[in-house]
Amino acid sequence: MLEQQLVNGLTLGVIYALIAVGYTMVYGVIELINFAHGEIYMLGAFFCATFITALGLPLWLAIPLAMLCCSLLGIMIDVVAYRPLRNAHRLAALITAIGMSIFLQNLAMVIWGSRPRAFPQDAVPAVLAEQAFSFGEVTITWLHLFIFGITFSMMIGLYLIIAKTRIGTAMRALAQNRTCCQLQGINVNRVISFTFALGSAMGAMAGILVAMFYNTLYPTMGYVAGVKAFAAAVLGGIGSVPGAMFGGIVLGIAEALGAGYVSSLYRDGVAYAVMIAVIIFRPSGILGKALVDKA
Amino acid sequence: MNKIVQILVAAAVALLLAGPAMAEEPIKIAVPSPFSGGAAAYGDNVKAGVEMKVAEVNEAGGIDGRQIEAVYLDEMCEPKEAATVATKVAQDEDIVGGVGHLCSSAHLAALPTYVRKGVPMISPTATNVTISEKNADRDGKVWSFRDVYRDDYQGKFLADYVSQVLGLKKIAIFYENNDYGIGLKDAFTAEAKTIGLEVVGAEGYVKGTTDFTPQLTALKSKNPDGLFISGYYNEGALIASQAKKLGMDVIKFGADGLDNVDYINLAKDAADGTYMTVPFLAAAAGPDAQAFIAKFKEENGRDVDWMSANAYDAAGMLLAAVKAVGPDRAKIQEYLAAMDTPEKGYKGVTGLTYFDEHGDAQKAAYVKMVKDGEFVPAPQQLN
Repeated sequence: MLEQQLVNGLTLGVIYALIAVGYTMVYGVIELINFAHGEIYMLGAFFCATFITALGLPLWLAIPLAMLCCSLLGIMIDVVAYRPLRNAHRLAALITAIGMSIFLQNLAMVIWGSRPRAFPQDAVPAVLAEQAFSFGEVTITWLHLFIFGITFSMMIGLYLIIAKTRIGTAMRALAQNRTCCQLQGINVNRVISFTFALGSAMGAMAGILVAMFYNTLYPTMGYVAGVKAFAAAVLGGIGSVPGAMFGGIVLGIAEALGAGYVSSLYRDGVAYAVMIAVIIFRPSGILGKALVDKA
Repeated sequence: MNKIVQILVAAAVALLLAGPAMAEEPIKIAVPSPFSGGAAAYGDNVKAGVEMKVAEVNEAGGIDGRQIEAVYLDEMCEPKEAATVATKVAQDEDIVGGVGHLCSSAHLAALPTYVRKGVPMISPTATNVTISEKNADRDGKVWSFRDVYRDDYQGKFLADYVSQVLGLKKIAIFYENNDYGIGLKDAFTAEAKTIGLEVVGAEGYVKGTTDFTPQLTALKSKNPDGLFISGYYNEGALIASQAKKLGMDVIKFGADGLDNVDYINLAKDAADGTYMTVPFLAAAAGPDAQAFIAKFKEENGRDVDWMSANAYDAAGMLLAAVKAVGPDRAKIQEYLAAMDTPEKGYKGVTGLTYFDEHGDAQKAAYVKMVKDGEFVPAPQQLN
């Protein structure tokens, strides 16, 4: 049973991780908690399902298209809601973020209705639902492996972009000091837009994976997932990309074990207790660096 | 898109009608239910039912030449929102009464205001037991009525049914952590104890949970032969399909919270072999009801569920009262409270409704099941 719980937790965890990177990257670059990120995750699932049902696109085309739409939406959210407040008090941007989140959630409800929908299963290759292998009590389906595979390859891709490319270097520089970047002639707004696009694409992917895995999508699905991913980002050390991945996986496993062995009513409690404990004993998160005053 | 067209058409019709009906203000009824948030889909069901009844009455010329207007108030199924909405309803003098609330928790929170201010309400869906004790004012006048059976009846009925008819022995329970889920689970567990049905585990969850695999993994090791889902169809469908994924071969059953065609849409073939109690069984309903069912499908593009049917009848009862005694809250209450015998009851699509001294309708439960991706009446009823 423990092995199966670990598989359950890991599946949840990698998805949290995928959403959490979006939070952490935006925070790293402009020190804003983008609460609308959970809605990007939800919209990713809705876009993908709509492209399949309304336009008849195959899954392999609908996924990148949905990610692209969410990237553009992410950029738009930044331009509309956050850019005008770039030099305002940080609280102002936080409040617009919450407003944006509520707005997008209700917009989705107006467009698609409030009823939960099934993910178009006909578009999903049947083999994914089949069992890949089992040892003892544990069963792993191809869909599990698909989720792990996609998540890890996206994580590696993200690492390469941040570590090896010019724009990745600019992102890291921006995270250190915005004024200096501007003085060096870096187009700060372009780098921020790129960060939003990248984070939103990953969030959209997470939404699509969840919709495929649970066969359900609904307009309010982003809220809880967003809060959990935010917790994961804080757990790993907000601003740190490897921290977000690690935090997501730790949170997913803590939740699965908490629900399986303690009581399912405490599953969120266990997850948040882990987060609180980390914040108390290691305020910068598990993989976060100690805060340096940026004055 | 369809919605927008509908709204535009409705607006156009309203404008056309506004001409001759200008002289008379419409009679307003309140419909407080969740229209946004996690439970919005259920609110949608209630709204569909009320809308049909109101449209019917209005097409027939309204009441005393006055049109009926349903005021939809969103309380998101949250107790504190419900309390605020209740005050709004009580303060609006033009509102004669209402259909709602949908959730037991919300209804309980709003109840004190209705009782204190004297607003007659008929809940089509709130099944929690404690409502019965809290809906009378100091003079013993009942202000909140229910067009639905109570959880204790339903939970006990379910335990008897799965034990006697389905022959189950070991039950695992999933319950939603709210007044509905807990009330139902408690009634089931109490009856299970007296009839020797073993409950091997009970796992709670909060609304909006999507992942149930950890709890299912824990329950699977106890080898239950029945899985009781004491909650609503959103989460119920996820529980059923995840149980199947984990290789749990059990009979699933639940109460009216599972009854919606979306349960089958979401759970796909994992929904097969699910039994549920419902206050309204389309296949067993009379000819009037069949006409309603067909019209509902035509207008809404989906099969009717019990929530819509109950809401349709609740609105019908309220409007019958208005028609008989006029738009006066106190007189409407008297009229509804006097519906206390089968002879004085209201004949609607869900059958005959009359109230006991607590305002509770005496309604029987039917059992239906999912077979080959469709709802069918269970082969054996227990009445």
